[in-house]
Amino acid sequence: MRAVSSLLLLVALPAVLAVKTEDFKTCSQQAFCRRGRALSERAEKDPLWKSPYSVVASSVVIDSDHASFAAAVKSSLYPEIKFGLDVKVHEDGVVRVKMDEVDGLRKRYDEAASWALVKEPKINPNIKWTVGKQDIRASVGGADDVEIVVAFEPLKVTLFRNGKEQVVLNGLGLLHMEHFRTKDAPKEPEVGEDGTQVVLETPNPRAWFEGDEEDGYWEETWRSWTDSKPKGPESLSLDISFPNHGHVYGIPQHATRLSLPTTAGENSYYDEPYRLWNSDVFEYLADSTMSLYGSIPVLYAHNAESTVGIFNAISSDTYIDVAHPDTKSSFTHWVSESGILDVFILPGPTPADIFKQFGNLVGNPALPAHWSLGYHQCRWNYVSSEDVRSVQKRFDEEDIPVDVFWLDIEYAEDHKYFIWDKKTFPDPVEMTNDVSANARKMVVIVDPHLKRVTSYPVYKEAVELDVLSKTKDNNEYEGWCWSGSSAWVDFFNPKSWDWWKGLFKTTQSKNGKYAWTDSTSDVHIWNDMNEPSIFNGPEISMPRDNIHYGGWEHRDVHNINGMLFSNQTWQALKARTDPPQRPFVLTRSFYAGSQRFGAMWTGDNLGTWEHMAVGIKMVLANNLAGFSFSGSDVGGFFGNPDPEMLARWYQAGIFSPFFRAHAHIDTKRREPYLLDEPYKSIVKDAIRLRYNMLPVWYTAFREASTTGLPVIRPHFVVFPQDESAFAIDDQFFIGSSGLLVKPVTEKGATKASVYLPGNQPWYDYFTHRIHAGASKGRTVDVVAELHQIPLFIRGGSIIATKERPRRSSPLMKFDPYTLRVALDQDQSAQGELYVDDGVTFSHEKGQFVWRSLKAQKQGETIKLSSHDLASTNLAVAVDGAALTKYNPSNNFAKTIESVRIEEIVILGLASKPSRVIAGKEQLEWDFYPGVAASAKEDGAPSQLFIKNPVSSISQDWEISIDL
Amino acid sequence: MIPWIFLALAVSPVFSAVDKTHGVPPDLLPKYTPLTSGASPTWKCLDGSKEIKWSAVNDDYCDCADGSDEPGTGACPDTRFYCKNEGHIGAFIPSSRVNDGLCETSCCDGSDEKPGVCPNKCKEIGDAYKAKMVAEQKLRKTGSKIRSSYITFAHKEKTRLEAEIAAAALDIAIKQEEVDHLKDLVERTESLSTAALEQKKQSPLYQTLLKHHHALESLQREYKKHLEREKTLGDILDTLRTGYNPNYQDMAVLNAVRGWEYIAGLPHINDVGKDQEEEEDNLEELGSDDVEGGEAVENEEGLWTAEELDRDLPGLLASNYESLLLEHEKHVGAPTTESLLFDLSAYIPDALLPQYESFRDNLVSWLRTLGVIKGSSDGDAAGRVLSRTCKHVVLMFIFAVVLDASRSRQALDEAERNLATATKEKSKSEESLSRLFNPEWFGREGEFKKLDNTCLEKNMGDYTYEVCLFGEAKQKPNNGGSHFSLGRFAHWNNVDGIDVGSPEYYSKMFYTRGTRCWNGPDRTVVLVWTCGTENALISVQELEKCEYQFTGTSPALCLPPDVEGGKRDEL
Repeated sequence: MRAVSSLLLLVALPAVLAVKTEDFKTCSQQAFCRRGRALSERAEKDPLWKSPYSVVASSVVIDSDHASFAAAVKSSLYPEIKFGLDVKVHEDGVVRVKMDEVDGLRKRYDEAASWALVKEPKINPNIKWTVGKQDIRASVGGADDVEIVVAFEPLKVTLFRNGKEQVVLNGLGLLHMEHFRTKDAPKEPEVGEDGTQVVLETPNPRAWFEGDEEDGYWEETWRSWTDSKPKGPESLSLDISFPNHGHVYGIPQHATRLSLPTTAGENSYYDEPYRLWNSDVFEYLADSTMSLYGSIPVLYAHNAESTVGIFNAISSDTYIDVAHPDTKSSFTHWVSESGILDVFILPGPTPADIFKQFGNLVGNPALPAHWSLGYHQCRWNYVSSEDVRSVQKRFDEEDIPVDVFWLDIEYAEDHKYFIWDKKTFPDPVEMTNDVSANARKMVVIVDPHLKRVTSYPVYKEAVELDVLSKTKDNNEYEGWCWSGSSAWVDFFNPKSWDWWKGLFKTTQSKNGKYAWTDSTSDVHIWNDMNEPSIFNGPEISMPRDNIHYGGWEHRDVHNINGMLFSNQTWQALKARTDPPQRPFVLTRSFYAGSQRFGAMWTGDNLGTWEHMAVGIKMVLANNLAGFSFSGSDVGGFFGNPDPEMLARWYQAGIFSPFFRAHAHIDTKRREPYLLDEPYKSIVKDAIRLRYNMLPVWYTAFREASTTGLPVIRPHFVVFPQDESAFAIDDQFFIGSSGLLVKPVTEKGATKASVYLPGNQPWYDYFTHRIHAGASKGRTVDVVAELHQIPLFIRGGSIIATKERPRRSSPLMKFDPYTLRVALDQDQSAQGELYVDDGVTFSHEKGQFVWRSLKAQKQGETIKLSSHDLASTNLAVAVDGAALTKYNPSNNFAKTIESVRIEEIVILGLASKPSRVIAGKEQLEWDFYPGVAASAKEDGAPSQLFIKNPVSSISQDWEISIDL
Repeated sequence: MIPWIFLALAVSPVFSAVDKTHGVPPDLLPKYTPLTSGASPTWKCLDGSKEIKWSAVNDDYCDCADGSDEPGTGACPDTRFYCKNEGHIGAFIPSSRVNDGLCETSCCDGSDEKPGVCPNKCKEIGDAYKAKMVAEQKLRKTGSKIRSSYITFAHKEKTRLEAEIAAAALDIAIKQEEVDHLKDLVERTESLSTAALEQKKQSPLYQTLLKHHHALESLQREYKKHLEREKTLGDILDTLRTGYNPNYQDMAVLNAVRGWEYIAGLPHINDVGKDQEEEEDNLEELGSDDVEGGEAVENEEGLWTAEELDRDLPGLLASNYESLLLEHEKHVGAPTTESLLFDLSAYIPDALLPQYESFRDNLVSWLRTLGVIKGSSDGDAAGRVLSRTCKHVVLMFIFAVVLDASRSRQALDEAERNLATATKEKSKSEESLSRLFNPEWFGREGEFKKLDNTCLEKNMGDYTYEVCLFGEAKQKPNNGGSHFSLGRFAHWNNVDGIDVGSPEYYSKMFYTRGTRCWNGPDRTVVLVWTCGTENALISVQELEKCEYQFTGTSPALCLPPDVEGGKRDEL
């Protein structure tokens, strides 16, 4: 049998070799990208290169609102073709630059922004445009001298700050909007002198810019697929440079470093440009520019003085070259297959400003249901309702917290989503109730492909409603996916929306349409495969010439497609109950705006150390791009991680905004309770730590939901001036809490090297040991044996936790808090705590508790106190619903009136207190002498433990520590 | 469902601490008394690590490193809470479940939550428990009766096997005798022929023949191995072809499937559906072409077909080369060199010499008498004369002796085979006997012997699963197709910490080394079974790829109510 097994090994080999790059196109395999890159090469070689596009100065019309102007643009290559430019300045200083072909043969796709934007942005009424001979300019406002200048010839848009170029569009003259044209009849070959047939060429006056040949203007064939391209060439090329910014971040999703490595220029790190074309990439590479499941075309540029950004609202296939001509500047070149030019310039200048500006455009992340921040246990597949019950039982026997059990595609009979396989899941409602009896939830998968059998009510109704995606010939599109021969709902069709909502109702509706009566409101939804993934389609997706609602081709809308699916599912879950409960929807595919509709994960990663490490960077990149609620599959989807890797992955996963373990059907089971010691305890401790810190996570999510600030933040966001850390992406901060974590992602590691920025002391979260700060930051080596996680509290922070292990997070609701007060050099500290019911939308009506926590030195007394934050910050307390009033003893606050603080630990006190009092009451305390926060030395800090100091978290309190 | 609302209403101030002995199990109650009396009594953590105020016991704040100061609040993680459950059975729950708002079934008195949250359900839960216990006892009683019949069966088996072994022993003795007798005979006859044969075997022709034989045998072995492997591969590919998920859209798999269909001349199984019929036609054409081509090769002159190889090669290899050697000599005629004739006596093996000499003497005197040869007493001269005139006769003699030896050898071989068979059968019976009361096999009491090769089935829709206890487990497609072995019985639940022969040991049966999964492990089965009045499979689940969990029942697991469960609960 040996021969047989080695043969099997051979068969298994391709899986080991991972991604099939040949399933996906490279830039050189797509005519529009070839043309774009060739354009860039010609420009580079030509010292006299000048963009053929110019603004017709006489055509400038300033709108009556003053904030915007319109002008005609023409190209010297095609004087007869008309373009229109439209520039607007928003209230927050964002500049929107739009350009489209005017009166063309066809219409370019111009709706991407309408799907991405949360609402039509307000324009700034105080803008004054000044029209000059060579340009039109306006001061954008802000503390600095920020100015937007649109040069006429050639067309160039520049954002200046204090006279320094921040963002430049078409600075290198690579702007090219291919106009619509008709296909020329092939030229008649003529017989040459030697008898061979030759095509007589007239010299092409546009060759210097467009090249000599019409490269792939029309029909294109790749592998076995032919793209009919009936609209012909319509690509858009645009260079966006940041002449004074040495780091660029963003454009997720790519498995790469956070500070984007170069793809162009000398010694570029990659050869291929970053690509945005939502794709189901099987066993993707851990270091690549290949496109993955989702796309957010936002890019930030950062230096020690400012942060700026651009949001390029485009949804077609897009390639982005990144180059650093020198270490202080960045250059990017965007080539898209179709769509209008619609670029939003984010002026910054701070990281917080950038996130606010981007949030104003595409919306802030939805405040998630509190339980969804707990631990999610997934596997492809828990095979039966008995299996689910027994997994739950094992978690409880081991006392490992878990909030959610997941079901992958095998719950569904023949992969007809909604339809339970009654052979294995005979009692889905009872099963769900058994899970929710422990205050837990279920998440069940619903994919966008519908099995094409009329006995499947969902498909049947979609056919009747005529909401399925169409081929180029306007027939129902048929593709192949899990369910075999399948059809796809076209969620661009508004008719599909109400129908989709109806499907998730748990009671039969009167209209006789299908409703998921076999489910309960404790069932939430996982939307996978929504790129869309189509097994027999080009690049495992839909043909580009498929037709969507409104006549748009799939090529135009592809990157938005996935978002519409999870959006509609989110709306459906919200509409499921009255009053609505916060939906949880996990999506694999996403676009700018998806953060308003749930969570994402980084797809089908591999169980390798490299994937563990890059997963962190990918989640960070997503956080920057506005989509904070993100995570990677703990353990890796493919493969069988050894116990050490699994333990480290859990230790990393608990610091991911979305924390889920998942595994492929071919893998061994690896639920935490199956591990041997010491791994089982290590994983259990890690999961419990996540639960302890849920108050920190939830508070960070509130902040994200109202300010757009990421839930996890890389160094440049928190220390924007600390140049040495701009490229650090293997350690990060949790919200504004002051917690810094460096997950260990190396096999066999026993220590870790951690960069500690700033001059405030850093405290080890577990041992409380002080690492003194240094004005230029410092790198320390800390022990990181398998049971240890390098986690630090920045001096000046107050961390609120709940330290009692429970089976699930809702059961912690009435547990007392613990505060860790990590004093800074001035013996002060601050923090925040946000609490609401975690499941409804009543917080939008002021039903929540939002408190400041403060330690301040006043003479020889340190005052610890808490006061309400909402009353003084009404406008920013809740996302999208400016409160007019807030009552600190609202009904929700009353329900947690009895929730106390059981312990306060103060780290780094300068000396032993003489007494600790709350009002007139003496409190019980213990003091252990040690290094003071102000001492500027390393060592065990002084620690003060105060027992039962506060009887109600929701009310004001003050404690005096007399030194 | 989650009585927060009650809890919210029942909110009591933090420091209204619960009773100091709340959550303390009876055996520790004496330890929960203050160390000192007076205005501020103290108490020592149970591990002796710290002395705390008596008021700090059960005050919902964890003071002691061992968590012993909070038996009743859940403030110290990973401790245990004792519910008295009066009217039912006292029980421990983990501290994580104290004051979490949920009412624990195992804490039926509701003492794990604040007063008013959980009603006392001990009566109800206790009654249900008692009813369940009664039902279980009843089941066990019935089951254990059947079980004791299994034990009786095992004892009968013991008697039967012992008798079989005794009879076999007798039989073996007789057969041994026969073998001894024949061995003696063969030794005597062979001693005549061996030397002559050895000499002839030096013949290059014979040596080459032997080499050919070995080569052919090796080829046959390899051929069989390859046939077997091809069959296995074919099975694997058949499974791949019928079972692969076309949704994976893995071109390597698709190519493997198509390649196999081409080689095996199979019709194209429906995959991606595109141009399917057309492709099917093409493949069929190609397939039939291939078969014809194959036949053309096989028809080459003189070469054997696969069937002929299969049928005739074993016979060919079983040829008696020694006989052939002799026949060969007969066939090509007598050797012609004189030297042989002169050295005839030397040529004749030593062992044969006396016989030869007496034969020669008789023959010579007989020939003399007949006047065929002139009188001479010189033996050598006589030999020469004899050689010249009667060489054929002599050789015929030698053949006769050798052939006789060959026949005796055959008889001996057969006798030895019979002996071996009898011995094997006996040891098989002995093995059965030794397994009968072996805790690692049929149990100390032999209670599982009755189940040996009892086959249980469960229809799960697409497949019927079968386990023949102590034999093989199988997956049988209900819509036709080949069966898969899911493994053969390997062992009971022999993990560390479980005593061999304990009820837990018999609660799981492992079947391993089933057909290997494509791109996966060997198929295996764990049969998890419990006491029941019938031998039956209840469920089948493939918890991991190719790793099956069967659940079932058997009376063999029903211990009499008064034996196991030792700690019968006092109700």
